Amino acid sequence: MTLSYVPGDSLAHRLDPRSKLLVQAGFAAAAYAYTTPRGLAVLSLLAVACLSLAGGGPRDLWTYRAAFPVLAIAPLVAGATLGAPWFRVDRAVTTGLASYRVLLILVVAAGYVRSTPVRDSRAAIQRTVPGKAGQFLGTGVALVFRFLPLLKRDLLTAREAVRARGGGALPVRERMRFVAVAGVNRAFGRADRLGTALNARCFAWNPTLPRLALGPADYPALAVGAGLLAAAVATVV
Amino acid sequence: MATSTESVDLVGDEAATNLARAALFAALVGAFAYVSFPFPLSPAPVTLQVLGVFLAGIYLGPVWGGASLVLYLAAGALGAPVFQGGSAGVGQLVGGSAGYLWSYPIAAALVGAVVHRGTTLRDLDTVGVPTVVGAMTAGTVVIYALGIAGLVLVLDLTATEAFIQGAVVFLPAEAAKVAAAVGIVRSDAIAAT
Repeated sequence: MTLSYVPGDSLAHRLDPRSKLLVQAGFAAAAYAYTTPRGLAVLSLLAVACLSLAGGGPRDLWTYRAAFPVLAIAPLVAGATLGAPWFRVDRAVTTGLASYRVLLILVVAAGYVRSTPVRDSRAAIQRTVPGKAGQFLGTGVALVFRFLPLLKRDLLTAREAVRARGGGALPVRERMRFVAVAGVNRAFGRADRLGTALNARCFAWNPTLPRLALGPADYPALAVGAGLLAAAVATVV
Repeated sequence: MATSTESVDLVGDEAATNLARAALFAALVGAFAYVSFPFPLSPAPVTLQVLGVFLAGIYLGPVWGGASLVLYLAAGALGAPVFQGGSAGVGQLVGGSAGYLWSYPIAAALVGAVVHRGTTLRDLDTVGVPTVVGAMTAGTVVIYALGIAGLVLVLDLTATEAFIQGAVVFLPAEAAKVAAAVGIVRSDAIAAT
């Protein structure tokens, strides 16, 4: 199961994407600035609140399963030493806290992904990053969302085809080559047709963007984000 | 809807095609995250994402190849399930694999710059195998150097611990990807360039 936007009417769904991005940035900065048991305990409550305000729950975290082994093994690797005392608890605890803060940041990010449609994210980029760079990022991100499922299917089809022809017996290198060639050719084919279609439809650097406005609920969210950032900066200064 | 009174600033033919290719390559690197191959000695199944980074540099060149991987990171941060294991979100960009992810645009630009000897694309038939292998080796070094630096910074590991956990076990699989990429470039199997 992958984490993706789920339509809904939760508080997080009604917030402006820009205030949600500020909260995430502030949360990440605070998690790095206060990697202590007490700091992370407070941030844990905040992280759970963020995800549940987006209507999410523990099931949304399953998507990060690929990242979990690294986070789980890191404290053991950090604690292990060659020679006495073989395992240093203090090192393991430091890295364990660092692993845990990453987990918390992932929880908050899951809340954003769950509650923000692509259209809003795109508008947020194009209104935040000025000029052609913003247009490139916004349009590009929207296209990635659009084409990812198609290319995924292309690759799986290629893989099935290789397997059906007895490709399972080939060395890994060869199997990788077959799948990659099919993927790149399909991607180029789709890109060139898309480029022609974009030109035919007067693709412009200054399109009309969807409306994006801060509502009453955004001000507390902006305050939380700015407060977290300020708290993080306060430890450095 | 906001109304704009300025005139329409059309994107040129070439830029539109390049933008489409950069976006499609970013999506392809994301789709590669779902294709995993079991590999001897590797604790986790190996995906083709790094191969996608190399190919972006080789086929799109340093500028659009690098831009393509920037799109990949932006799309992933905003919720496209393109990171390892189909995950997404800003959290990944500051998490355990942060170093690897941030290195992708740099590695793609580097591979492109070495293969094409500058920012203008040249015919891949005129590029020798040693150049392609050298470019990808340099790309691999960048990816793992930044990946290890990321583990050191994010998880408070020492450089040696990070090297053991984040590089040693994966390097044999990288060699297979470099071999696969050389095979692709030399075989004329890619129709559009």
